[in-house]
Amino acid sequence: MPEIKVTPLGAGQDVGRSCILVSIGGKNIMLDCGMHMGYNDDRRFPDFSYITQNGRLTDFLDCVIISHFHLDHCGALPYMSEMVGYDGPIYMTHPTKAICPILLEDFRKITVDKKGETNFFTSQMIKDCMKKVIPLNLHQTVQVDDELEIKAYYAGHVLGAAMVHIKVGSESVVYTGDYNMTPDRHLGAAWIDKCRPDILISESTYATTIRDSKRCRERDFLKKVHETIERGGKVLIPVFALGRAQELCILLETFWERMNLKAPIYFSTGLTEKANHYYKLFITWTNQKIRKTFVQRNMFEFKHIKAFDRSYADNPGPMVVFATPGMLHAGQSLQIFKKWAGNEKNMVIMPGYCVQGTIGHKILNGQRKLEMEGRATLDVKLQVEYMSFSAHADAKGIMQLIRMAEPRNMVLVHGEAVKMEFLKGKIEQEFSIDCYMPANGETITVTTNPSVPVDISLNLLKREMALGGPLPDPKKPRTMHGTLIMKENSLKLVSSEQALKELGLNEHQLRFTCRVQLQDPHSDPDTLHRIYTHLKSVLKGYTIQHLPDGTVMVESIVIKVSSSAEDTNTKVLLLSWSYQDEDLGSFLSTLLKKGLPSGLC
Amino acid sequence: SAAMEEAEFDDILDDWFIEYKDLHVYQLEHPTQVIEWTSGRTVCVAGFSPSKNEILELRLPRKLFADENKGLCAERDFKVVHGGFTDRPVRCLRHVPGTRCAVTGDGLSSNLQVWDLGGDDSDVIRRTGSIEGRRRRTGVSEGGSSIAARPSSPPQILHGAQISDVQLTELSSGQTLYQLESDSADPLSSLHFLSDAVFLAGCSNGNIYVADTRTSAAPQLSPPPPPPVSSGESVLWWTDASAGPDPSGCRVVRLSSSGQALVSDLRNLGGAVSRAQLDVQTLRCGPDDVRVSWAPALDDCIAVSGFSGAVQIYDASVWTSELQEARPLFEHRGHAVSPEQSDDGVPPILVTSHVWHPERPRTLLSAASDGSVHVWDWVDQSAADKR
Repeated sequence: MPEIKVTPLGAGQDVGRSCILVSIGGKNIMLDCGMHMGYNDDRRFPDFSYITQNGRLTDFLDCVIISHFHLDHCGALPYMSEMVGYDGPIYMTHPTKAICPILLEDFRKITVDKKGETNFFTSQMIKDCMKKVIPLNLHQTVQVDDELEIKAYYAGHVLGAAMVHIKVGSESVVYTGDYNMTPDRHLGAAWIDKCRPDILISESTYATTIRDSKRCRERDFLKKVHETIERGGKVLIPVFALGRAQELCILLETFWERMNLKAPIYFSTGLTEKANHYYKLFITWTNQKIRKTFVQRNMFEFKHIKAFDRSYADNPGPMVVFATPGMLHAGQSLQIFKKWAGNEKNMVIMPGYCVQGTIGHKILNGQRKLEMEGRATLDVKLQVEYMSFSAHADAKGIMQLIRMAEPRNMVLVHGEAVKMEFLKGKIEQEFSIDCYMPANGETITVTTNPSVPVDISLNLLKREMALGGPLPDPKKPRTMHGTLIMKENSLKLVSSEQALKELGLNEHQLRFTCRVQLQDPHSDPDTLHRIYTHLKSVLKGYTIQHLPDGTVMVESIVIKVSSSAEDTNTKVLLLSWSYQDEDLGSFLSTLLKKGLPSGLC
Repeated sequence: SAAMEEAEFDDILDDWFIEYKDLHVYQLEHPTQVIEWTSGRTVCVAGFSPSKNEILELRLPRKLFADENKGLCAERDFKVVHGGFTDRPVRCLRHVPGTRCAVTGDGLSSNLQVWDLGGDDSDVIRRTGSIEGRRRRTGVSEGGSSIAARPSSPPQILHGAQISDVQLTELSSGQTLYQLESDSADPLSSLHFLSDAVFLAGCSNGNIYVADTRTSAAPQLSPPPPPPVSSGESVLWWTDASAGPDPSGCRVVRLSSSGQALVSDLRNLGGAVSRAQLDVQTLRCGPDDVRVSWAPALDDCIAVSGFSGAVQIYDASVWTSELQEARPLFEHRGHAVSPEQSDDGVPPILVTSHVWHPERPRTLLSAASDGSVHVWDWVDQSAADKR
């Protein structure tokens, strides 16, 4: 039976990283290659031993596809390609290709330089890995090889995030990566057509949540900023250039305008240039509104937001500053933090996840005394706020996506099966499709029912039509006679004559002959006539002829009578039929073996 | 659209900005008419469409309860901890305290469904049985049951659709432990336990009955005050009784569909300690629309919802025995201030239910007909101003 296999790689029940193996139509595809941010040892990498116990992965994988630049989806990619070994194609969207290496290098620096780890990839490995990347455009079908094709769809979530459609023959799988179904201020919402894949694979981490509205999150953010400004404090917002910074800037700009606020808002210059560059490159990946405003003005030409200069950090009075990097692990944001941390009127707002080892991670865990270089301690007196702005689909979002794509089966990864029974039931009830929830390391097999397209020759079709009778009814299959020719990747149904002609073969006719003895004290012609009468009464509806040449024909079966040499009452019937009339022929021979009924005249 | 975004932004700035300590806004797939606490951090909600509905047990966001380290907690979402399916509407849902059991009514008959809300080993809410309601008088139009429960061993529930039907049923055996002795067909709007044995039944015609499950004596009846002469329509009433260690100290509030509120002492239900004309829109309401409730952890505060898209908090301590207009201490207007709402013939959004948190003084949950559910902790402006 044709089947597709899905295996989330990983150890135990942890949900911190995405790396899914799919086997479809003889092809093996790796979906995402994430790093688990909670571990410091090899457990943070996916378990590739499922693919092969030792050695390179190139021969075992047809391609690798990365959905977006978050480290829990691409963090282990250089390790996989350069340290384990993989030389095949790696597919990702253009923005992901541009941004991934920046995040990977940042992450590498923190892990190796700050934490002193050794079994980790190098800068050169990141570069070598990215050389294997083939960028994807939205909605464009890419042939990985003769049989495997992939297509990227818009996922929202972060710049460049994609959902991917994978097709081999008539079987297909869609993998969602991370996505969201409601647009935000700078990205649109995920969209896919009614592609009806055999399997839709989605993360289930947020499947059992109901999200607090964007309005409330924004309200909380603005309230905190406003309160700090009102008491004369300074707000530091460490951001990654291409993450939520845009979203928050647009929000603050609108707020400042409405409330007629005067406190300055700054954006560190490095951030502006980099962000501008990337947004210009990838303008089609933002939402409609951004595209419109970008045409009119530069992405970061805000009325109330100005470029930051290092010296401003010492200015008195309230201000808001956006600075990189996002986890306070180095650079300008850390410098500003050191200056402002000692004043309880100030505030730092962390808009996203911070990797272990960074100052960001420490203060989010409540640490109020930090050890800095040269054994100096920093007292953290400012207010620390952790706000989550990431856009994820929730329970409702998953249902919406299923409604859009109409998959035949659903696979939810990264959830505890026991905690997902209700969602599974909900999906099965509403859509009448099977819902699978493999644990990490567990393979699920989904039987597909692919339709095999066959071309039918026009002649054959016409001949069937000419046979007359009722019009074809899809509920009542009608038997037809033809020859199926499989050549290269196509299948066609033609008439037997045409097949013989195409194949250069001659048609052979098979005829069967059978002798039946029966006792009949009549002359040969009379016996023949009696046989004729008998058959006519038994086989009603068949064409039975008594021909002048001394034979009886039933359809195309020929019956001759002759007497045995020894005894004229012993008649020998010769029956002859072609292969096509095999059934009728054997019926007749059996019937005549029983002899003729006495009452015949 | 741009207009929607502008409107949304105005919402943020409008009074929301200052008056809440906490505010969370959620959108359920289907609206709920019930919000019932199943623990200090979880509530049950359920759909009321004519056929297929979901019952959900939701855990409130950690951020709400992180009082000292609120800033370090980013988690703002509801978690669906348990869910189940029913093929009837859920008009009433009561959690049986001390158990993982809940009882629901469909508003169409007096029969009730019993559910197991599930433990750690499964997230499915399963139906475990049903309870038949009594019908002592036939030919009377069927209405839904009211349900009340208090901690008991083994678990029991008090239920009925009209006064003559009220009975106390033991859940596991289905045995009837007590039946209210009365022939009255007054339809119930609510049932409340005042102690382990004493309960109050509020009727939608304004009658209040007080009875004791230990005796078979007839219940004490207290009629509502006479309606104003001007009103032509019949008036509907809703009731709540304040909980307390001593049932005799209990106070009862009655609210009419014309917006009149009366506070009485349990010992003297016929008299009114205080009254007020509330600031509500008295459009036509159905018997199921309005909720009135005493704050469990805030003296003299009453919450009112169902007349509009707002939830109002009143301070009953300033009411007098003379009927005067009262202004709400606080008004949560979030449900009706929605960018999706337009004025063209679309029915107005109404709040379908509200509950107070059992311990946190100013935390409430409210649900509306558009499927929204809000969790809010309001700031008492008058107290703030006095500082």
